[in-house]
Amino acid sequence: MCYYCGMRLEVKGLVKEFPAPLFSGGTPLRALDGADLEADTGVTGVGGANGSGKTTLFKTLAGVLEKDAGTILAGGAAASAERLRQLAAYCPANPRSFYFRLTAGENLRFFGALAGLSPAEAEARAAKLAPRLGLAAVDLGRRFDRLSEGTMQKVSLIRALSRRAPLLLLDEPFRGLDGIACRGLLELIAEAGKTSTVLVTSHSRELLAAAAARTLRIGQGRMPPGGPQ
Amino acid sequence: MNAAGVIAAFVRRDFLAEKSYRLSFALGALATLANLAVFYFIGKLFGGGLAPQLEPFGTGYFAYVFTAMAFFGYIGTGAGSYAGRLRLEQTQGTLEATLSTPLGVPALLLSMSAWNFLFATFELLVYALAGAFIFKLDLGAANWWSAGLVFLLSAGCFAALGILSSCFVMLFKRGNPLAWILNNFEGLLGGVYFPVAVLPGWLIAVSNLLPVTYAVRAFQLAVHKGAGPAMIKGDLLALAAFDLLLIPASVWLFGRAVRRARRAGTLGEY
Repeated sequence: MCYYCGMRLEVKGLVKEFPAPLFSGGTPLRALDGADLEADTGVTGVGGANGSGKTTLFKTLAGVLEKDAGTILAGGAAASAERLRQLAAYCPANPRSFYFRLTAGENLRFFGALAGLSPAEAEARAAKLAPRLGLAAVDLGRRFDRLSEGTMQKVSLIRALSRRAPLLLLDEPFRGLDGIACRGLLELIAEAGKTSTVLVTSHSRELLAAAAARTLRIGQGRMPPGGPQ
Repeated sequence: MNAAGVIAAFVRRDFLAEKSYRLSFALGALATLANLAVFYFIGKLFGGGLAPQLEPFGTGYFAYVFTAMAFFGYIGTGAGSYAGRLRLEQTQGTLEATLSTPLGVPALLLSMSAWNFLFATFELLVYALAGAFIFKLDLGAANWWSAGLVFLLSAGCFAALGILSSCFVMLFKRGNPLAWILNNFEGLLGGVYFPVAVLPGWLIAVSNLLPVTYAVRAFQLAVHKGAGPAMIKGDLLALAAFDLLLIPASVWLFGRAVRRARRAGTLGEY
């Protein structure tokens, strides 16, 4: 399998419903209600209001969540959640999903190992990506809980980018970043888009437009099929 | 994916995290020694007045409880550590990130408690050194091959119980009936602190349903009476049967629990 080539992603009628907690009296939440999406190698933006289903869409495409209905084709073949976890690198909107007692570098080494990278590969890729995002080498050696929110976000981006996965899912990647880091990230997204299928969300229309030539919109768990919106 | 590399990554991660809490390790080691001292003085108090229930094991109370605690401390790691580790990942917010990677369920289960088992091995060494040099225990009669076999069968069985227990954590986060049973009844009914023969008949029947009863009895007989595999055949077969049933069942059920959490969207909840 080529881990450094993009591929066509086709999503049809994707449904994801979260059941209400047992005995809560609540009703299930239908976060995706038949979403359709097509994306090739390159960068595609996904816009939408809060609660429109962007994060659920990304988590389902990353294989973190299992879909309830619909089809996901990756490179023309049906992709199960397990296969999607092999194909996709996902950067969540919340950058706090790290081990706080470990340094940023140690965290990247650990998550790199889970993605099949050797310690040397993980360290080399982190060292290469860090300056592009304005992250100092000394910050990689700092304990994660002593980093600022923006620096945590940079580490989270490095975790996803260093996998060099064929499908790259960046959920609110600009959140908390300073201007220099935003510019660096835009360059990195453009570079990743040459070889991977990249999906990016952002609430900033300017940043989304700068990152992606094509932007789709999601609303109430639905994405109209077809091209740019 | 390189399984050895993943296990090494988990061990390194947990070692670094534990190392960052320096006082905790020292206090843990002190607590173990203080615990042992309590049983040492209880043993001294009753001295040569051996209970008839200890006769089959051919040893005094302190040697009995010392061996059982060292053994149970190790195999109990499997029973307790999976749920504990999983809960920690949930509350730290790292479970979803870990399960966003290509890491499969068998690799996760092999790696998740690797550090706990390594640390338990170290504790076992502390027990052995304390037994030999501080408490001057005589283990000259031990059949270590036999003891090793009991150890192996028991460790697998208790790890499976631990994995089953972690299924409750995966699904319900808090409220774990299996952990409650393991914590409150294994020591009481399994012959860890006293031989099960002390218990009333109906409780002995209940204790016979627990793998710990066979494990502790077989280990005691191998260590204190030098019993070979033929002498403890019944206990070994019982442990093997528990292994055959519990190990595949626990791995399968854990996989189902993870899948259910992915469907319900609760991997990131705590």
